[in-house]
Formats: sequence, C-alpha cells, structure tokens
Amino acid sequence: MRWISNLFSRYWRNVHFISVLLLSLILILGGGQVTGFTSGVVSAVFYAPFSLIKNTVVALATVNTDNERLQQALVEASAKVVQLEEMERENARLRAILGFTPPENYTLIPAEVVSVSGDHVSLAALINRGTRDSVEIDQPLINEQGLIGRVVSVSPLSATVQLLTDPTARVAVRIADSREMGIVKYQVGTGMILDNFPIQGSIKEGDLILSSGLGGIYPPGLVVGTVIAVERPEEEPFCRVRLQPAANFNSLEELFVLRVHGP
Amino acid sequence: MNIIAYILYLLLIGMHAVIWKDVTSIFDVVINLPACLVLLVALYKDEVPVTWFGFLAGLVAAAGAPDRMGWYALLMAVLALAGCFVRERLNLDSLKAKLLLVLGGVFVHNVGSLIISGTDGLFILLGTSALTGAVYTTLIAWLFFLFKEGKLTVEKLKSIF
Repeated sequence: MRWISNLFSRYWRNVHFISVLLLSLILILGGGQVTGFTSGVVSAVFYAPFSLIKNTVVALATVNTDNERLQQALVEASAKVVQLEEMERENARLRAILGFTPPENYTLIPAEVVSVSGDHVSLAALINRGTRDSVEIDQPLINEQGLIGRVVSVSPLSATVQLLTDPTARVAVRIADSREMGIVKYQVGTGMILDNFPIQGSIKEGDLILSSGLGGIYPPGLVVGTVIAVERPEEEPFCRVRLQPAANFNSLEELFVLRVHGP
Repeated sequence: MNIIAYILYLLLIGMHAVIWKDVTSIFDVVINLPACLVLLVALYKDEVPVTWFGFLAGLVAAAGAPDRMGWYALLMAVLALAGCFVRERLNLDSLKAKLLLVLGGVFVHNVGSLIISGTDGLFILLGTSALTGAVYTTLIAWLFFLFKEGKLTVEKLKSIF
C-alpha cells in the first residue's frame, strides 16, 4: 500500500491537473445538457446576486426618469386644465353677452380690455379697438352687467376708457321706479354715490339706477347700479345715497362700445 | 489561503462580468479580470489550488457561453498552471517581471478566447482587442501591485486630490 501512497504523492499535481482536464473534456464533449446544467448552477451562484443588484439599480433609475416625465406631464396637464377652465369661463361670459341687446339706434362694437390702470380703484382701461373700428371719443361702453364708462382718447388700434370708478366721471341718472333724477359719481373711500339727491326725494334701498340720457353722452336706460344705503341727515338738504355698481370693475374683460346708427 | 478567499475571487469575477465589464470598457477594450486574478493568484499560491481556481474561474467567466464553457475552463486552468510554472522557474521578484507575466498571460488568454469563440478577423482583433485589453488589464494589475507593496496608499491618493 505504501508504494501506492508514494506514487499518489509523487504525481499529486498531475492527478489534479488530469482531473481538471477530464472535467474540461466532459464539459466540451458532454453536450448541451451538461454545459447547460453547469452554466445554470454557476450563473445562479455567481451571477444572479449581481444581476439582481444591477436590475434593481436600473429599475430605480428608470423609476426616477419615469417620475420626472410624469411630473412634467402633470404640470403640462394642469396648465391645460387651467386654460380649459379659463376658456369655459370665457364661454359662459360670451353666452351671457349673446343674449344682450343694445339700446335702440345703437350698434355694439365688441372690444377686449388690454389693460386697466389705477392704484386702488380702476380708473381707466385700454381696449383693443380704435378709429379703424369706428371708435370715437365720448362713445359709451357697456358690458352685459351694465354701464362701464366712456371713451376719452382714441388711436387707430386702441382706445382709452374712463371708467365710472374714476372720481371725475359723472353720469346723469334716473331712479327706475320713481323716475327722479340725479348725478352719479364715485368717491374714493365711499364708493359709488348718487350726488345731491334731495332729502325729500323718493328713494329706497334696492332701487335700480339707470342712465337718464340727459348728459348727452350716455343713452337712456343703461343700468348704472343699485341703491344699497340711503341716509337722510336732518341738518342736511341732501340724502347720502350709496350705490352698488352694476358692473364689476375688478374683472373687466369683454366690453362693447356703443356706436350711434347712421350719420 | 482558505477557500472563502477563492469564493470571494470567484464572486468578484461574477460581479465584474455582470456589472463592471461594460462600465469599465473603453472603445470595446475590456479588462480581463478573470485572467488577471488567476495570474495574480498563481504568483503567490501553489500549483494545485491555483489550477482548480483557474478551472473554476474559467467556468464562472464563461457561464454566459455554455457551449464553449469547457474550452474556457481548460484554457484558464492551463494559464494558471503556466503562471505557476513561470514563477517557479524564473525570478519574479521585481515588479516589472510580474507585470510582464500578467501582460503576456492576459494576452495569451485573450488570443485563446478569440480562437475559441471563432471570431472573424482574428488578426485585426489581436491588435485592437487582445493586446489593448492585455495592456489595460496590466494597468489594473500594476495598481494592485502598488497597493500590495505599499507604494500607493489611500493617504497618498487623498494627497493627490
């Protein structure tokens, strides 16, 4: 037995190398089943953990990219929703305007407000219609709510409108029920008032105030506002009448210039 | 060296094949880490474990090509044995000699791999892939030797940057 042991230790290296050679030959000649099995085992042990890590990292990177893409899409969609909501509101306004009929002998020139000036109160507005659209100075402007003001200056493509909220603006008015007349103006701090209305005059809260047409600028019958407060101080000859303007001067968008028919 | 170290080397080869091979390749020139590791182990270890390690390293490296797995494993085992043979016959104390062994060994392995895979344009690939890959791999081996011999340390690297 000893000689076998000596022989084994003497050729120890060769035995290992021959084993390796034999195993290699088995793999080379063994066919697909042997190599497939070996490859599967080796891959599962030495490749799979790193494939998992790599796939996870790639998936995370993809998730980040997807997330950024979706966030961008969300922002774009939100912007579109806001745009559509705005269009919906515009549509509603235009539908309301469609049912609006101008005063007799007047035609409507549609205009859009380009800008509004004034610090605390809107004093003037720039519209996108001018002399090319037959807009002239002193033409009144209205919207579906009521009287807005008048044109004070005009250029070929635009015009400036003095709004009723300008303290220098005056409108000759008539109370719709009692037919009594007065002058409407705007006071900073107080708001729209009916000026110099006699204390014995017939007026009450809720009365509708219409333009009388006596000033020569505004045609009669345009809604100016509604009475919201009437005070009758004993020591004064005139009432203090506060009005709620018919038009909302904080959200002016589509207006109509009133143009008289014919020459 | 215990068996755990060899298993870690094999895992390193697997990780290189899955993750680092593509990342570290430069114009299709790749680091031949399996051959490099086998030669480095052959420089320091005995023939028998090195032969087996070469065989297993060949298996791991060729797991993606099962039809040529046996050839790759045999080639790597022969490379490991040749590495040991050269180390025993020649004086390989100097860094240059070790690097020359790695360069030559990796180049031979690259050529052998090209022959086994039956790639067309072998002579062109000898220059564009085998030799450049061997040089690239030797560069990595050089860094390894510098670290091993203490000529390159983390502190020195920090001082550079």
